[in-house]
Amino acid sequence: MILVENLHFAYNGREVLRRVNLAFGEEILALVGPNGSGKTTLAKHFNGLLKPTRGRVLVDGLDTRRHTVAELSRKVGYVFQNPEHMFFEETVFKEVAFGPRNLGLSEEEIKERVRWALRAVNLEGFEERTPYSLSGGEKQRLAIACVLAMRPKYLILDEPTTGLDLRAERSVVETIKSLRESGHGILLITHDMDLVLELAERVVLLMEGEKAFDGPVDEFFKLNLDNYGLERPELLVLAEKLGVGFVRNFDELLRGVGR
Amino acid sequence: MIYQFYVERDSLLHSLDPRVKIIGTLIGITSLMLFNDPKVLIPLFLLILLSGRVLGRLGIGEQLRLLKPLLFIVLLTVAIWPLVYRPRLTGLLLGVSFSLRLLGFGLITFQLLMTTRQRELILGFVKLGLPYELGLTLTIALRYIPTLYAIANTIMDAQRSRGLELDRGNFLERIRKTVPILIPLIVAALKTAHELSIALESRAFGASKRRTFYRDIAMTKRDYLALGVLMVCFAFLLYLRFVLGIGNIVIYR
Repeated sequence: MILVENLHFAYNGREVLRRVNLAFGEEILALVGPNGSGKTTLAKHFNGLLKPTRGRVLVDGLDTRRHTVAELSRKVGYVFQNPEHMFFEETVFKEVAFGPRNLGLSEEEIKERVRWALRAVNLEGFEERTPYSLSGGEKQRLAIACVLAMRPKYLILDEPTTGLDLRAERSVVETIKSLRESGHGILLITHDMDLVLELAERVVLLMEGEKAFDGPVDEFFKLNLDNYGLERPELLVLAEKLGVGFVRNFDELLRGVGR
Repeated sequence: MIYQFYVERDSLLHSLDPRVKIIGTLIGITSLMLFNDPKVLIPLFLLILLSGRVLGRLGIGEQLRLLKPLLFIVLLTVAIWPLVYRPRLTGLLLGVSFSLRLLGFGLITFQLLMTTRQRELILGFVKLGLPYELGLTLTIALRYIPTLYAIANTIMDAQRSRGLELDRGNFLERIRKTVPILIPLIVAALKTAHELSIALESRAFGASKRRTFYRDIAMTKRDYLALGVLMVCFAFLLYLRFVLGIGNIVIYR
């Protein structure tokens, strides 16, 4: 469980986060809000990249102020928005091995973890490729594998589908779903309301550094999203017109109509 | 995150012609190089800082904050001088004043950038006779320092999240640890440069040999006056240094 207690964070004298309270466990939690609302700032507190100005963050009982990012990286994995910002090795294998190697594991264990992580994101057989030669979706999944190989319980994914075409997006979505099934807690930072609708179990909405909403995904879509500069998914608009009510994907819509 | 140095203010420095400011910057840097006596360098630095405050309406803290990246080299200078120079107190004083000379170079350049818009800066360079391409290259380079700095920070965050401990280990280990930072940074820089060149070309950069400018600049009476004042000050400093021999001390015997 990651507990955020009365978190305040000031940057250059400006408060970017105020009074944030949050509990996050084994679930897919979508963190949404307009640009500059503090989403990434909040997420960076989860693995200690940023330390609270006031209040505290507990990761499975560990106070992030008293532990380094390296220590917390065993529990919380952070996949940054641009996967290329982490690639530096010649091969995919070495790239994924970098994290586990920093944890000081044995060569055997490292090999086993790399194999497992690549399988989890469906990149088996890519071991000898150069990270920069992969396609957009493959790069994104490789970035997830790099973090996954450290076996963190919680994963933070920052805009994991931005800039991907439909097929690449699907591959990332499937990866997220299967990670959730294998017991990871996933924090999804995104602007994509379709993605929120399909994946999230719970949604936290940030506005100007404060929590404006925290609740289940169906409650979230009852809000008037226009007020927050967010767009209602077409699927929900269609479902409403057809009188089906709340659905989360196209199949559910079809089933609702058929009834 | 800072993306540009320019800060909008209503001040004398902001309103001066960029040519005057460029010449002023060069004069300032030359003046700092003329002297090696702490008795001159320290007041000179304070004078530059103060003139930024008074003439450019730039906060003292605002100016000094930009010098933070130089902190390491300054600390090194201040620490090493008293170690290698005797008497030690003089060594410390020399360390401080040479640091201030270095900081002065930075400060005066930042003052130029904080009070001059990028397009005015290019225009100033071109009107001073620099080829447009060179002027553009220079300002693009300056413009991208903060951007690359921001990318470097993101990359460091990303690698720290993968368990990289930048502040642990001996000297050699630390050098090795910069590889995971440098490679993505170089790739990002090359990609940015490539995209920028495409963007420039798609806006017909270099299509005609002689450029005209949408916004032009002209020297006003005030600009000539400021230039005159600068020249007089510079002449005075030259007089102090070479005729009166003030401000130069023998350091190595």
